[in-house]
Amino acid sequence: MTTTRFQELIARNEVAHSQRRRITNAVMLTLTGLLTLLALIPLFWIVGYVIYRGGSTINLAFFTQLSRPLGMAGGGVLFSIEGTAVITILACLFAIPPGVLAAFYVARNPNTPLGVALRFGTDVLAGVPSIVMGLFIYVILVVPTKHYSAWAGGLALAILMLPTIIRTTEEMLKLVPHTLREGSLGLGAPEWKTSLSVMFPAALNGIITGFLLAIARSVGETAPLLFTALGNEQYDVGKIVQGGIQTHQSLFMIIGRIVNQPVDSLPLTLWKYAQQPYPERIDQSWGVALVLMIFVLLIEIAARLWVESRKRALQG
Amino acid sequence: MSKFLRSFVFVTIAFSFLLAACGTVATPAATTAPAMTQASGATAIPASTATPTPLAPGSVTLNGSGSTFQAPAESEYAFAFPLVDPAVAINYQGTGSGAGKKAIIDGTVDFAGTDAILTADETTSGKDLQMYPFLAGATVMTYNIPELDPKGPALILDGNTLVGIYNATITKWNDPAIAALNPQIASKLPAKPITVAHRSDGSGTTAIFTAALTSFSTAWTAGSGTTINWPADKAGNGVGGNGNQGVTVAVQNTPESIGYVEYAYAVSNKLPFAQMVNKAGQTVSASPDSTKAAMADFANAFTPQLTATIVNGSGAGSWPIAGYTYIIIHQTSMTDCVKASKLVEYINWILTSPVATNRAQALGYVPMPSAVQQLALAKLAQVTCNSQPVMTH
Repeated sequence: MTTTRFQELIARNEVAHSQRRRITNAVMLTLTGLLTLLALIPLFWIVGYVIYRGGSTINLAFFTQLSRPLGMAGGGVLFSIEGTAVITILACLFAIPPGVLAAFYVARNPNTPLGVALRFGTDVLAGVPSIVMGLFIYVILVVPTKHYSAWAGGLALAILMLPTIIRTTEEMLKLVPHTLREGSLGLGAPEWKTSLSVMFPAALNGIITGFLLAIARSVGETAPLLFTALGNEQYDVGKIVQGGIQTHQSLFMIIGRIVNQPVDSLPLTLWKYAQQPYPERIDQSWGVALVLMIFVLLIEIAARLWVESRKRALQG
Repeated sequence: MSKFLRSFVFVTIAFSFLLAACGTVATPAATTAPAMTQASGATAIPASTATPTPLAPGSVTLNGSGSTFQAPAESEYAFAFPLVDPAVAINYQGTGSGAGKKAIIDGTVDFAGTDAILTADETTSGKDLQMYPFLAGATVMTYNIPELDPKGPALILDGNTLVGIYNATITKWNDPAIAALNPQIASKLPAKPITVAHRSDGSGTTAIFTAALTSFSTAWTAGSGTTINWPADKAGNGVGGNGNQGVTVAVQNTPESIGYVEYAYAVSNKLPFAQMVNKAGQTVSASPDSTKAAMADFANAFTPQLTATIVNGSGAGSWPIAGYTYIIIHQTSMTDCVKASKLVEYINWILTSPVATNRAQALGYVPMPSAVQQLALAKLAQVTCNSQPVMTH
């Protein structure tokens, strides 16, 4: 067994400093380990406590029934789950089309006056507190139309989602190699076709992730809904649809009735229930917290899985 | 190549969805307005000829907000009324009387709940607002003194002591004024500072409570109304709660505290509440009976607006901090006649149905005596929609 001169040096050096190095290594490793643990404590504490408090209230009725009168046990938060779904769908409808189009414009023309203004506006919008959005929509929509509604709530959340959607979409479009675009244009494809069938698919990964992150952010918002969606513990989409079919209403009328009245959403219900002194309501508010947490977690996981699967598909 | 084709197809589909979405964005807003006028137009004539076409279950939502004093009753009604008329859903949000009054003046709700009487300014800016008293209730002083036996005798207070506590001139539980009223438990009263809980939002319960304080003693100089500049806050021993529920929670969670809440909140949450020495010098406890006695003291006090203040009554059994709670609606300016007729039907049901009054009584509220009920029904008969009377006989 022959050793090189180099290996010998290393070995000697190792021996000379081994004690100090080993101690430093151990101390630093313990320290980083401890601090990591410290950072993880709040996460597991919150998740664990919400599961502990909320888990016992979750049963089938919790997902299928409307709320009971104050002080009466039982009932569920179907109204709130339906309201959240309706508001979120509306918010996506309001936010995604203009958001994506604006991002295309900014990515293509970053230095035109409109492009600069758009980007600056997006940054400012991202910094506006969510309650201000609620107040804004209250003044321009709720007061003139004389009623609180799901679509007013959806619009308030849409404005909150816009900056996230525009920024992520723009960043993703910028990551698409120049050569792809130039190649497409060089082959004679018009600008719109290049955007639609070359740029967009290449950036789709990140764009979808951006949508999901925007949804995950907006779904936990209470403040903008206080002024716009108000809350409605008797909201029942099933009943509205059923009644609409019975009386032969058109699809538009049924949709109109679904979106044109006050609704609750999970964080709003959580906020209202947690303030009540009634123990049943407090227990249910923990249940709502658990459902909300799982919902946001599922969105985040879906976003991750989507990105992973697309990455694998692109790599072949 | 096939991968490219696949993603092209996907993107085309995705984009067509986006475009479709873009198309439908405008439609809810655009179609609901005509849809609603169509609905009301179609039934406006039948409403007056008393043969309304049957409405689909849950097709009319009556939105209300305001008083948390009446919120427990409203939440019972929201549960029970659809059993009477399946077409109607009642949505009541307890936002506080102040917020409720603002909402009905702005016209963002169909009805408001309040225990505070509309001020002259509010009546002017609301134009055709009418208040309908439908329940009375006691405001009780709930307290949290860990030293006292929850099963033992309740704390006893009188008007002057209460004013003293809220003026922060009485700051300890073992103050001689409190001890003199409570000979049985005087030895147990702690020498600890009193935390005074009050409402932080615009509140009708505050309006009732401060009207009582004003009537108890001239030492109360902060006035009465839905929002008060609390002397206890200036002294640093006040704590605010949002809604009756907020004050209840504040008292539950703060040892050595006292707060004023509607009777139903104290009873259903099993909180202790103080007895009061009333104007006649009798020690009374809050109950539907003592609230009724207070109503009897002021039986003829109703203004043409159907409002009355019933604090500090002179009867031997009268609870001194009682009040009516009201629903406010627009009397002549409603334009959706289906909604208007259902709203009138709802108020009529609240006032007259044994189901409604029994449910409210179970919570500790007192329904209207028949004289007041008749006054309210007479007003209700005058409600018009697009100049047509809404109530049919």
